[in-house]
Amino acid sequence: MASHAQLSSHFFGDLLDSIIVDVASECHRIARLGLDRNLEEEEEELKLSAQARERVTDPNNSGEANSKYVVDIFGQTHPPIASDVFECMNCHRPIMAGRFAPHLEKCMGKGRKARFKGTRSSTAAQNRHSRGSPVSTYPPYPNSTSTNQLSNGTSGVAGEEYSNGTFPEP
Amino acid sequence: MTTGNPSYTNPKPCKHLADYKLNHGLSGYKSLQKHLKTAPHGKTSVGKPNTKTPRCISCDGFQDIERAELYCCVCCDQVYDPDFDKAVISKHIMGITGDKNGDESIGKRLVKRRRLSSGVVEELVDSKISKQLISMRDRRAKSCYPLGLRGLNNLGNTCFMNSVLQALLHAPPFRNYFLSGGHNHETCRKRSVGRLCLPCDIDVVFSAAFSGDRAPYSPAQFLYSWWQHSANQASYEQKDAHEFFISVLDGIHEKEVKSTQSRNQNRDNGDCQCIAHGVFSGLLRSDVTCMTCGFTSTTFDPCVDISLDLDTNNFPSKNTATKSIKPDANSSMSTLLGCLDLFTRQEKLGSDSKLYCQNCHERRDSAKQMSIKRLPLVLCLHIKRFEHSPVTKMSRKIDRYLQFPLSLDMTPYLSSSVVRNRFGNRIFAFETGESDISAEFEIFAVVTHAGTLESGHYVNFLRLRNQWYKCDDAWINEVDEGMVRASQCYMMFYVQKSLYQKANEDWSCLPISPRRNMFGQ
Repeated sequence: MASHAQLSSHFFGDLLDSIIVDVASECHRIARLGLDRNLEEEEEELKLSAQARERVTDPNNSGEANSKYVVDIFGQTHPPIASDVFECMNCHRPIMAGRFAPHLEKCMGKGRKARFKGTRSSTAAQNRHSRGSPVSTYPPYPNSTSTNQLSNGTSGVAGEEYSNGTFPEP
Repeated sequence: MTTGNPSYTNPKPCKHLADYKLNHGLSGYKSLQKHLKTAPHGKTSVGKPNTKTPRCISCDGFQDIERAELYCCVCCDQVYDPDFDKAVISKHIMGITGDKNGDESIGKRLVKRRRLSSGVVEELVDSKISKQLISMRDRRAKSCYPLGLRGLNNLGNTCFMNSVLQALLHAPPFRNYFLSGGHNHETCRKRSVGRLCLPCDIDVVFSAAFSGDRAPYSPAQFLYSWWQHSANQASYEQKDAHEFFISVLDGIHEKEVKSTQSRNQNRDNGDCQCIAHGVFSGLLRSDVTCMTCGFTSTTFDPCVDISLDLDTNNFPSKNTATKSIKPDANSSMSTLLGCLDLFTRQEKLGSDSKLYCQNCHERRDSAKQMSIKRLPLVLCLHIKRFEHSPVTKMSRKIDRYLQFPLSLDMTPYLSSSVVRNRFGNRIFAFETGESDISAEFEIFAVVTHAGTLESGHYVNFLRLRNQWYKCDDAWINEVDEGMVRASQCYMMFYVQKSLYQKANEDWSCLPISPRRNMFGQ
């Protein structure tokens, strides 16, 4: 009579075999029917990306990614705040390009509302992006009240001066 | 291997199986079918037959009982037969829906067959008018650089807008539409004096970008119009590039639908022919399966982009059982393919969200699976780098690096592939009515974000004629591919490979020196 240990070992072996054959059978079918993805190309892409990342994080690198620009490819330079001047289409006053957006905000009467992300309908956003909801998660023409956003620019800045988008270190 | 409709090679049946079928037809399969046991999650096995099945005697093969696979003793290999797979799948269908016919594809819902989706855009893509327009452009343009490459001034934290505009300016079918007069702001304004028309303002931006003038352009008028348009929505204060993108497409749709279509009834099934949807709209399929009986309910929804969660746990790809193992380099890196795998993975819904099953007539544990029924011409993939904690009500940005390919094959994420895989990759036509759009894409624009949720900066990388350009508001610089690969991607724009290649051919630069003449004159 087989001992308990032998029996359990036997059952375990059967289970393990079954699992292995499951995977093998699946792979075999995929390979035989030509369904496997082009692994060489994928690996190549992964390799190239990994190499690129290494180069970027290499301290010996000149940090070209974030250094200040000298000239662009057309040989031009540009000031930190765009200096073109044109007429505001709302009030017709001459406005400097780099300050146009904050001007327009006031000019159109929207004012400088404080960021109030918390009160936006975050549940709507969750439902919209959640994969668990039974209804479609992709409304055809979403009118977004989502908080799933990455804002740019600083928040809560009051007054006339509007700081340009910051360039933080990544 | 063909592209487009995901085909698999129908393997030649082994000689022995072919002989068996010649001699005995499909009767063996039919009798075996009675003994097949199907499970709701798609796997099939053979129940214990009461009598010896005839096949054991008359053919040289036998069954893998646990998995309902055929094995040929002479070839000593597992073999595959479309007729056998069809019998297996028919059993599934009969079991689920009680349909004795069993020959229709599973969960098929008649979807109005959309005429070749590129129909509207195709004419304009091939238009010769756009080429003629180029010949009239300012030849003083700094040569040897691609047309339309022009910096955009930051008007005060408007890099979210600039980065998306650059992508739109260089999305081949979208660009061709506007440059060939698809929406002429001069003629349109005459019709709608004083009324807001976002496509007109976009047309103005196109004219400016492709004018040949390389000094940075200030899209002030566009900003003004867009703000007025988005004031109608709740989100005018959005400074998120993705939200801006959706909002612009919506603005185009509104205006184009009013002027060119008398009815709005195409909204629901995604057949809208406005340029925004013609270029960016695809169709998603959602399958909800009852885990008790296997009944699947399918819905289709149009989408103009796909928002993906980061695959932070690096799930193994479901379509390849042999995953290349490079434990150190790749095991913890998130990849775009991993995100797409995650997106199309079958997900068990929690027990607290049981759904009503029409077959069982009660609420049951269910599983949901997304797939892509129809791909757009331009595929926008958006990475949800936003994490919101319902507990703390805090939001934060996920800076995790995401690897993305420059060439992308979307075949494994199509409905045909996903549904077929759910049933063990049987040889069976699960999906019908898929369009002929190819599944191979090439990337042409990447919108990256650096910084925090509250304060950050968007930069766009453009790929024109296989050269990468960094578009940082007013600053345009050439960069190498490595910098793009290493960047923190937020939105990626892929275009169908054929359109990408065509765009590369058509839009060579205007040479000052008589080098290449793009019209072949």
